[in-house]
Formats: sequence, C-alpha cells, structure tokens
Amino acid sequence: MKKILVADDEMSIRLLYSEELKEEGYEVYLAANGREALEIVDTIPLDLVILDIKMPEMDGIEALRQIKERRPDLPVVLSTAYGEYRQDFATWASDEYLVKSSDLDDLKSTVKRYLKE
Amino acid sequence: MATERIAFLTQMVEVLTSTVSFGERLNNMVHLLARYLKVDLTLYFGLDKGKETLVLNLSSQGPVPPHLRLEFPLGQGLVGEVASTGKITIVQRSQPGVLAANQDLEKLHPAFVTLAGFPVADDNFFYGVLLVADRQERQFTPGERQSVQVANLMLAGTLRQALLQEEAKKRIAELSVLFEVGKALSSTVELDELLERIVTTTAKVITARGAALQIIDRTTNEVRVSSQYGQIPLACPSPAAIPATTATSGGVPHLQGQEINAEGQTHYFLAVPLTFKGPLQGALCVYDKFAPNGDYLPFDPENRQLLYTMAGLIVNAIENALTFKQVESLAARNERMVRNLTVLQVISRALLTTVQEDRLLEIILQGLTLERGLGFDRAVVLMLDEANQELKGIKGAQHSPKLHGLPLFEALLAPLAEEVKVEDWRIPLRPDQGALALTVLQKRPYHVQGPVLESSRSTAIPPEFTAPEFFVVPLVVKDRATGALMVDNRTTGRPLEEEPLHVLEMFSTQAGLVLENAHLYSTIEANNRELLLIRERMLESDRLAALSSLASGMAHEIRNPLVSIGGFARRISKLVDEDSPLRGYVEVIQEEVSRLEKLLREILDFTGENLSFYADHDLNKLLEDTLLLVQRDLEACGIKVVKELSALPRLHCDDRQIKQVLYNLFQNACQAMHQGGALTIRTYPVEKEDGIYEAVAITDTGGGIPLEVLHNIFNPFFSTKDYGTGLGLAIAQRIVSRHYGQVEVNNELGKGVTFIVTLPVAKYCLVKQGGQGVALASTLKAPKGGGR
Repeated sequence: MKKILVADDEMSIRLLYSEELKEEGYEVYLAANGREALEIVDTIPLDLVILDIKMPEMDGIEALRQIKERRPDLPVVLSTAYGEYRQDFATWASDEYLVKSSDLDDLKSTVKRYLKE
Repeated sequence: MATERIAFLTQMVEVLTSTVSFGERLNNMVHLLARYLKVDLTLYFGLDKGKETLVLNLSSQGPVPPHLRLEFPLGQGLVGEVASTGKITIVQRSQPGVLAANQDLEKLHPAFVTLAGFPVADDNFFYGVLLVADRQERQFTPGERQSVQVANLMLAGTLRQALLQEEAKKRIAELSVLFEVGKALSSTVELDELLERIVTTTAKVITARGAALQIIDRTTNEVRVSSQYGQIPLACPSPAAIPATTATSGGVPHLQGQEINAEGQTHYFLAVPLTFKGPLQGALCVYDKFAPNGDYLPFDPENRQLLYTMAGLIVNAIENALTFKQVESLAARNERMVRNLTVLQVISRALLTTVQEDRLLEIILQGLTLERGLGFDRAVVLMLDEANQELKGIKGAQHSPKLHGLPLFEALLAPLAEEVKVEDWRIPLRPDQGALALTVLQKRPYHVQGPVLESSRSTAIPPEFTAPEFFVVPLVVKDRATGALMVDNRTTGRPLEEEPLHVLEMFSTQAGLVLENAHLYSTIEANNRELLLIRERMLESDRLAALSSLASGMAHEIRNPLVSIGGFARRISKLVDEDSPLRGYVEVIQEEVSRLEKLLREILDFTGENLSFYADHDLNKLLEDTLLLVQRDLEACGIKVVKELSALPRLHCDDRQIKQVLYNLFQNACQAMHQGGALTIRTYPVEKEDGIYEAVAITDTGGGIPLEVLHNIFNPFFSTKDYGTGLGLAIAQRIVSRHYGQVEVNNELGKGVTFIVTLPVAKYCLVKQGGQGVALASTLKAPKGGGR
C-alpha cells in the first residue's frame, strides 16, 4: 500500500484529505507543520508528500527544501490557498502546485498520476 | 690851479649825482675830463664781456659813430697795455713802436703826439681804460693825475651803476617772460596754441625778428615746424645738427651763425635743442635780433641762456600736454567701460526675469543688437549638439530702429523686431570648418576680418550671410563650450574694435551661464514631472501590493474553511440516499461553496494582470530614469554609482513595470549599503538559443545575504526589513517572469550581492488592452508555462 503524508496546520483539512485518500486505498500519515512532516519523512518510507505552505514552526517552503535534500526522488505536491503565486512557485523544486479546492478530484488525479507505477 | 681842480671835481660830482641817464652822465664825464686837462680828445675803452678786447665806448667829441669800430685786444697798443698792467702810462709819438702799436687811433685823431692811458677801476673791478690824446707834447702834473684818478673812480662808479641797471632790466625782462610763459602754461589752452604763445613771447623778449619751433614726431621721426612767429629768413637748422655742449657756450648746447642772402643782407640765427629728461624732441630757433635803429644784431650769451630756458619750458609743456592727452584718453576709455558695464548690468537684470530658454535667447539677441545695448548690426546664437558634434543655429536677429525710443530695459524685454533665419545652420565641429567651429573647439574668441574671411567661414553658413569682418565668441560654462555667439556690423559697415570684443566676451560668459541654467531648469522641470508621475504610480502599485497582500491573506483564511466545508459536504452527499431530502441540502452547500471558490479564483488569482502596457523601450534609459528616483537615497547613504552601459536593442516591455523592478532592486541595494558603498550597474546583451536577451546586473557592496535567509528572498511573506510590505523582490520576480525573463542572484558573502535581470528583447505574449486580447508576433517561441 502506497504511503502518503499530508502536512497542513488545519485539522479539518487534514481530516478531509485523509478520509478521501484512505478511500482511494492509500496509507495516510498526518503532520501539523513542517517539523512534524520532516520527522515522518525520516522514519517512514513515504511515496508522496502533500504540503501546505503557510504553517507554524516550519513552513512548507522550508520543509520542501529539506525534504528534497533528504529524498530528492520523493514527489512533493504543494497544496495552498495562494493561487496567485502559482507561476513564481513553479520555479521552485516542488513537483506540483495545486490551489486548494473543495473539489478534491484534481488532487486525487495528481496523486494517482505520481503513484500509478 | 687848485681852483680849477676843485671846480672840475665839483662838476664831476654834480654829473655823478644828476638824474640824467647813465649814458648821458658818462658822456658828460668824459667831456669834462677833456676840458679840465685841456687836451684835444678823451676816449673811454670798455673791457668787453669776454674780457679779451677793449672796445671804444665813449668819446669827448660826442657819440661814437656806429661804423667806427675801434678795439684793442688785451696787451696791444697803449690801451691794451694799461688794461693788462693797470698803471697810468704816458707815451710820445716819437717813441719807437708807439705809432705802429696805436695806428688805429689815427682814424679818430690823426697826428696825435701825446697819448696817456688811465685805468678805470674801483676796489673790486676793472672796467676799462681812459685814453687822453693831444697834438702837443705835454706832461701831466701830479695834481692832474690825482684828479683824473678821482674822476676815474666816479666814472667807474657810474659804469657800475649802469651795469647794475642793465642787469636789473634784464632780470625784469626775464621775469616778465617767465611770467608770460607761466601764465600761458597754467591756462588750459590747447597745446598748439600754448606753443605758439611761448614762441611769440620768446621772440619778443629776445627782440628777435622771427622764431620757429621744430618738433620731432616720435612715431615717424620726421621733423616738422609746429609753430612760428615773425620772419623766418633762413631754413631752420636740423635739431640733430646742434652740438650737445661747446667750450664757449657756458654749458648751453646751441648752434649759432649767420648767412648773407642774395641781397647782401646778413641774417643771424640761434638754435637750442629741445631735450628734457630724455631724447631729442626738436629745436627752438630765433632769427635776427634787432637793434632800436633797425639794424640786425647777432645773439649774445644771455639770449642763449634765455632761449635754453624757454626750450625747457616748451618741453615741459609738451610733456604736460601729452600726459593730459593720455589722461584724457584714459578717462574716455573709463567712461566707455562704465557705459558698457552699465549696459551689461541692465542686460543681466533683464536676463533674470525669466528661465525660459526662448525668452532668454530673445533678450540676448536684443542686448547684442540694440543701439543702447552692445550695438552690433547682426547677432546669431549657436548651440553645440554634442550627440552629432555640430553647431546648430538657434536664433538670429538684426538691428532694428523700431525700439529706438525705449529705455534699454524695456527694449530688452520687447519681442525681436527683425529675426534672421539661422535654424538650418549646421556646422560640423572640425578645425577646418572655420572660425565658429574653432571658437568652440579652442574656447577662445575670434575677430575675423579681411583676406582670411573665406578660409575662416564654414561652407555651412549661407553665402548671403557675409560681412567684411565679424566676431565669434564661445559660450563657456564650467570650462565646457556649449555654443557660440556671432556678431557683425554688416549694415552700417562700422569697423569692429578690440574693446567691444572684450565686452562681448564678458557678455558671452553670462549668456552661456543663463542658457545653461535654463536648459538645466527645463530638464529638472521635466524630471520633476516624471518623478511626480512615477511616485504616483509607485504609491498606486504599493497600494495594490498591500491590497493584494491583504486579499491573499484573506483568501488563505477563507479558502481553508471553504475547502473543509465543501469537502465534507461532498462526503456527506455520497453517504446520503439519492431520495433523501438531506441530499438536496448538502448539494446546496456544495454548490454555494463552489461559487465562492470560483469568485475567489477570479478576483485573486489574476491580480495586476490587466495593467500591462507593452511598447519598445531603451533599457539604459529606463535605468537612468529610475536612478534619478533613488538618487537622493543613494546620496544620503554615500553610495557611489558606477555605470557600465552597453548599447542595447530596444526592449519590448511595460516600462513602468520594469522601472518598478529596477526601483525595487535599487532600494534593496540602498538598504544593504546604508553605511555607504558602491553600486555597479552593468547592461549587456545576451544571446541564447531561443533568441536575444538583454541583461542588467546590479551589484552592491553590502556584504551579501546571510545563507540562512538566502532561499527566502523571493518569498512574498519574508522580509528582513523593519518597514515596507516585504514584497519588493517577490514583486520584481513576478514582473520579470511576466516578461518571460528571469532574476538571478549571485551572492558573495562578506562582499555583496549581484542581481541579474535577464529579459528577452521581444517575446510572444498576450496583452490585455481595453479587455481585448491582442497577439504580438515574435520570432521567439513561448517558453514553458508562458501561455495564459
């Protein structure tokens, strides 16, 4: 079973994402900030990470940098409320940049694309 | 005997104390002596002034006829012997040698037998000899001798008195001459008239029939007779022919002589040189002294002395007059200078009334061509076009009598009455292009005249604009020539003098300065306008950025709950039966959330995109413009700006946005170097596979960005600044990427940072204008992610 980490400071978002992704058949781990996310990356052989950007303690940008340092092969999908920076963030090292939406089809199809094998 | 003696002496005393003239007294005395001694003849021989000859002056037989000139040199004849020995001597005709030695006396008294000589002298002075002649052989008693000696003392006394009187008369005459001359000198008459008076007075005092004054012209060395009086019977002797001093002249240099003319008339002349503290200046010459009876006489030493004194006075007068003339010309020059300075001052006042270049040009041209101004016929102002290295005609004018009655200040401010068309003059700035090009190249004035005219006139000046001579002066500001003034007097043909050239030079300095100031003023004004505009735009974009930042924050805050609400609503709808009434409620929640999310996307995700105005711009110019905006900050921080700008093709961009990028980068550099440093700005073209780019590299010496924050500098939520939105670099990057360019950072810790902005010269892009999409063709392919 593929292992996915969802990092978001909003508990409701974490809950929503994990319910939906579990339904799709993935094993889901949760983190409330960048630091927690890094701990999980270090201990679990993850297949994909979904990162929020604005989080307390350590934000998604810093977490993204450190994740890519440790596991350059691990796909990271940024999921943020900031749609207007899509282009700027595209130059960064994330694999995907998604604007959060209540319709999770985009997210689920992106995840599926990275994990289809 | 004794009675006779007493009677004789009494008569002598009576004559001595009488009031008749000295000549009369002396005649009477000689006559009395002859009577008393009962001899045929008594004669008085006076020692002449040269003290070498004894001349017959008086005779007991009445006045000596003028043609009878009888004289004995000292030691010759009885008279000469008595004069040299000073003793009474008596000889007889029969004695050997007496007749031969005194032969001359035969003319007066033939067949004399006895001759007796008595010295006439007093305690101090020897005057002459009293000679007694008789046809009888006779002796003189001691009484007679004693009486003659006493009578001779009286004779000597009378002679002395006569001499003194003569002396006194001469002194008076001399004094009156000096008085006359002094009067003439102290009067303010013209030099010529003054010399005339001196010459006339001299002639009159010396009793000469004529006098002439010759002056050597100092420039041509020619001798000319400047004034004369009476009759000039002989040619004037050349001043150079007068010997300096002669042994017999008594220290007075002179030339004296006589000539006999065709009618056998003898003419005398006396000339003295005019020298006084310097070289020979001329000669003063008198002719023919005349005796009361009308005869001509030679001039005596007193005349020489007097003439020499007069010559000195004349020289003085000439020198005074020359000095006066110099003073007069200096005063006239001063007066002209004062006038010119006054004119310049009035023009300067008029120039201060405006900063408008057009108005200044008119005032300058009025100043040059107005009668009451500098008074030239025509004037042209030319300015240097540095880019094309040529002089351009700006404005020309010519003198017009229309403004004649107006005061200068008012006339200066009046519109030009007659313009000269010079706007199409183009004179290349090369030494072979004539005086105008030269005056600017060499920063010195030229006075062009005569035969050099053709070679010194540029072919760029129309041939109808010719004048026999003209002035050109450069307009120099801070040692840099900015243009030139050209003036001439073609209409009136008045010659141009050196003095107005100096005035023109003074004027050009001021004209150059005010024109430069006007130019600077208009540049500053334009910059100011642009600055205000840019400031407004900056404020606007700052406001937009702040608003955008606020909106982003809100979006974040709203989006998250919306995602949860919508997401869970979707989950609920999956769990609720198809026909349950709850299903409808959940779908309403779902749809409303979708609508809100769509709204957020539309409003927020495209912020700022519809504000672009693309056109072709010069990146270097944009840089310079933006530098002006931060110049004050740079100066305040003590930052030196080094520019290395290469020529670049024109850039297709939104100039305001690119200026914003540069502004933000400059601001960053400023903040990094608030303790001072160097800001190096380099522009250069870059060739890439997909086309031509141009790059601007901005390097500061602010020590670089600490590694721990380096990765965050483009993060819109990151700032090390205490104020501002912190969006500077994020916005810059957004703008650059919108132009399909990129921002690179070259960080050298401890040294500084270089931001390199690379922009494509042109790129396929969509520009929203008035809501309509317009596609711009380009040779470049759209980069990945560039399509919208």
